Amino acid sequence: MAVDESDLPFEHPLYDLMAKMPGLDLATTSVDKLLNWGVRNSLWIFPMATSCCGIEFMAAAASRVDMDRMGTIVRGTPRQSDVMVVAGTITVKMAPRVKRLWDQMPEPKWCVAMGSCAISGDFYRDIYSVIPGIDTVIPVDVYIPGCPPNPEELMGGMLALQEKVALKRAGLRVPPEVRPETAKMIKPRVGRAEDPTREKLIGHHQALQARTLDLTEPADLVEAMTPKAAADGDQEGGA
Amino acid sequence: MTTAERESAFVELLRARFGLAEDAEPPPEGFLLAAEHHFELARTLKQQHGYVQYVSVVASHWPEVPAKGKVEGDPEHYEVATLLRTVGPGSHVARWRVRIEMDGALDSLVPLFAGADWQEREQFDLVGVRFADHPDLRRLMMPEEWVGHPLRKDYAIETGHLPWR
Repeated sequence: MAVDESDLPFEHPLYDLMAKMPGLDLATTSVDKLLNWGVRNSLWIFPMATSCCGIEFMAAAASRVDMDRMGTIVRGTPRQSDVMVVAGTITVKMAPRVKRLWDQMPEPKWCVAMGSCAISGDFYRDIYSVIPGIDTVIPVDVYIPGCPPNPEELMGGMLALQEKVALKRAGLRVPPEVRPETAKMIKPRVGRAEDPTREKLIGHHQALQARTLDLTEPADLVEAMTPKAAADGDQEGGA
Repeated sequence: MTTAERESAFVELLRARFGLAEDAEPPPEGFLLAAEHHFELARTLKQQHGYVQYVSVVASHWPEVPAKGKVEGDPEHYEVATLLRTVGPGSHVARWRVRIEMDGALDSLVPLFAGADWQEREQFDLVGVRFADHPDLRRLMMPEEWVGHPLRKDYAIETGHLPWR
């Protein structure tokens, strides 16, 4: 059962430890501030850099902008990272890999969508192999617009994420930015990752594809996409 | 040998053994040959003429052209262009095309050039042309469970895919 924990205060196992140690509970408030300060200033990044936004990301991590001075050290493994920066176009083949890496990151974790491709797919969004925004796969905390955003904008996005983390750890709910006209403008055909109305399996385009392939029923398409039948389908597909 | 000498030797070879017409002008995209000469030509070029570098293979899909008035109809087919190259001074690129029908298959060049493996897999994946005797003809660029071949002319841009489109 899914519980909406967005309104609950942030929990941490260190709190239990502090409650057990005598005398330390008196200092909880101060330690809490210290912890907040520590988490906010040690947002280690896992760079999901797939295209030109990754180059700007490298520039942001290099000496001129030097994003490391706010504690955002870039790590090469999801297991040591707090923030996934999705920088670039995510294709249909790449999306399950991004999801797997996201699942390997320990809680608490945040996601930053950097650049218009990661936000909405941009001008690739109608291409058969590109997903319309990374937020159809994983939840996104901060969007950094631009094509690509320059390093200063990435720095600004990380500062915004720091504010959000601080608010969240203080038990405050971060209100989402509500701009209906913009939300309608960039809404993908398939719902966002947390959208309850999102279709699970077969959508309009799958049915369209089924008609294109002369498959009589959408169920045939599902059968054709199962791994066993896919091998046969590859051999038969060109005829 | 210079590049021009290799070019003329290549054309002479095609005329002598691979059924090229005497008056055929060299088109920029390569001579159109019969598909049964494909493997034998590549083998001859590699073993006797020093074309040891496999540059690329490019397949294209040609939709059906219906007969209309004076225009002759043409059924749907593939064209596959192959490029081989000599290395060193006087380098020359030998290029030729073959026509493959929709239910046909082209001889794979993997027994001659190991580098042909993934390139032919890519062409199979995106265009759908089949390569006979290829050791591992699977999809390369698209997801494994993908249906259809995206670079064919009949592939709609609206064609969707599970579960994000």
